[in-house]
Amino acid sequence: MRKYLFICKATLMESLQYVMNIALGFISFFMMVFVFINLWNYIYSDPSKLISGYSRGQMIWYVILTEILWYGTRNRTLTVQISDDIKSGTIAYGLNKPYHYIVYIIAKHIGEIALKFVLFLGAGLVIGLIFVGPIRDFSPLRLPLILLSLLLGILINSFIRMAISVLSFWIEDCFPFHWIYDKLLILVGIMFPVEVFPQWAQPIIRCSPIYVVSYGPAKLVIDYNYSTALEILLAQLIYLAVSFILLMLFYQKGVKRVNVNGG
Amino acid sequence: MDAITVNQLSKTFRVKVKEKGLKGSLKSIFQPEYKSIQAVKDISFQVKEGEILAFIGPNGAGKSTTIKMLTGILYPEQGEAMVMGINPALKRKQLSYQIGTVFGQKEQLWMHLTPYDNFKFFGTIYDLKDHEVEARIEELKQVFELEEFINTPVRNLSLGQRIRCEIVASLIHRPKVLFLDEPTIGLDPVVKENIRALIKKMNREYKTTIFLTSHDVGDIEKLCKRIIIVNHGRIVLDDSMENLKYHYLKKKVVELKLRDAVDLSDEDGITVLKSKGNNVKLEIDTTKKDISDALKLIDADNILDINISNIPLENIITEIYKENRQTLMKGSDTP
Repeated sequence: MRKYLFICKATLMESLQYVMNIALGFISFFMMVFVFINLWNYIYSDPSKLISGYSRGQMIWYVILTEILWYGTRNRTLTVQISDDIKSGTIAYGLNKPYHYIVYIIAKHIGEIALKFVLFLGAGLVIGLIFVGPIRDFSPLRLPLILLSLLLGILINSFIRMAISVLSFWIEDCFPFHWIYDKLLILVGIMFPVEVFPQWAQPIIRCSPIYVVSYGPAKLVIDYNYSTALEILLAQLIYLAVSFILLMLFYQKGVKRVNVNGG
Repeated sequence: MDAITVNQLSKTFRVKVKEKGLKGSLKSIFQPEYKSIQAVKDISFQVKEGEILAFIGPNGAGKSTTIKMLTGILYPEQGEAMVMGINPALKRKQLSYQIGTVFGQKEQLWMHLTPYDNFKFFGTIYDLKDHEVEARIEELKQVFELEEFINTPVRNLSLGQRIRCEIVASLIHRPKVLFLDEPTIGLDPVVKENIRALIKKMNREYKTTIFLTSHDVGDIEKLCKRIIIVNHGRIVLDDSMENLKYHYLKKKVVELKLRDAVDLSDEDGITVLKSKGNNVKLEIDTTKKDISDALKLIDADNILDINISNIPLENIITEIYKENRQTLMKGSDTP
């Protein structure tokens, strides 16, 4: 475990060299949040109105939180690096090192996003407090469960992205699969909560990764209740186990195909 | 004791083949065809602990494939290898604590970290305790003279400095065997010399067994006492450097500067390599003709300057490659 913590620390040290890159990412984040604040302000012409059970404040906080999750955890290591490592054969050179490649990548990913996530979280909270005000009925006592849900959401998202990237063992380019996953996450999971969608689509969304990756953690912040929290955490645990098993299965099968010829 | 034992090791790659043009591309989608390339064919050898071995051959000879099988990166198709008593194909993680690898064309250092942080990283992944890593860095810093740039990010180092750091990173866990795959590739002669001296020092001080592949004859000549030459996946020569030179250095090159130009032509044991004005270069096969007999062909008073040298090792190796190719071609002609 100590070695993976060190990998995490080494990556964090590396990411500190590129704080400017993170700062540039804020521009796009601010623009998205600004657009949605204005959009929901326009739709909620009457501030006391509820849409799909959500007030204006809850809806804007939902977008801010899901955008934090999106921008704060986006990382090329899980997509481009894994694919490149597989296609170039670099992955083979890690096989004779005393660490597991998949755990190494997870540790590296956490190290890379740690600073970014904290910065986006801070920025998102400041914007939310300025433009919307505090979250209604929020209690700090719920923080441990919310943080657990956030962590599980981030891990599930990482496992799914890694499982897609590991497909590079069989297919030349797995970018189209990442693209589909990204778009589904943005359109269905980030911009609107599940309840906004038609009745017939809601069960499908609730079974999809979107429910556990972005909706679940955000829902616990803006509209907490005990039974929803249990339901979301249970779904996250199931998704965590399934996505991890799939990832390891793909990896174990794929790594046997490693072929590095030439010097 | 043997550090490496290789017994009838073989490896075949399956490579996709495609007919030319668009038609071929379409056909390969529906009817993919593959061909087998045998990269390593039934090779066997042993390396003693503390030995420096040169494992050389032309491109595509099977050197890197062999190294990759010995380090657990690739599985052999047939045969068995043992490195420090461990089978790389079965226990590569366990083996990783016993070996170090430097692939000249594949960096393992983190480019944005300093060498010091990189060494700490490698020390930790090899389960060394903090104080052990610190002590080891201090020790290797002295041996490899890293003081000047140990705190400079790797991306800002010169290639020579980076290779030194790559070697140190692979030595941090005190490996018993070090695999160096073209460690001096792309380096200038001065830095090459420096790296060779450090490798020698490392072998002397830590008794590390070194398995070296290189296209640079200087690396082989200056570092190794034993040489294995592979070609077309087979071992074509496994001998000491001394024997290699003794058997193959039968030919001498004689360079002469003459007062007056003379007309010389090839004869048994003498080949005229160059004859331009007053300068003549001859190759003399000493098994057929003594140098003194060859020189009798020229009037001694006509000689202004003379230089007698051995055939460069590079030429010897090229000749061995060629001999092997001719033997193989003859073999394939035989019904």
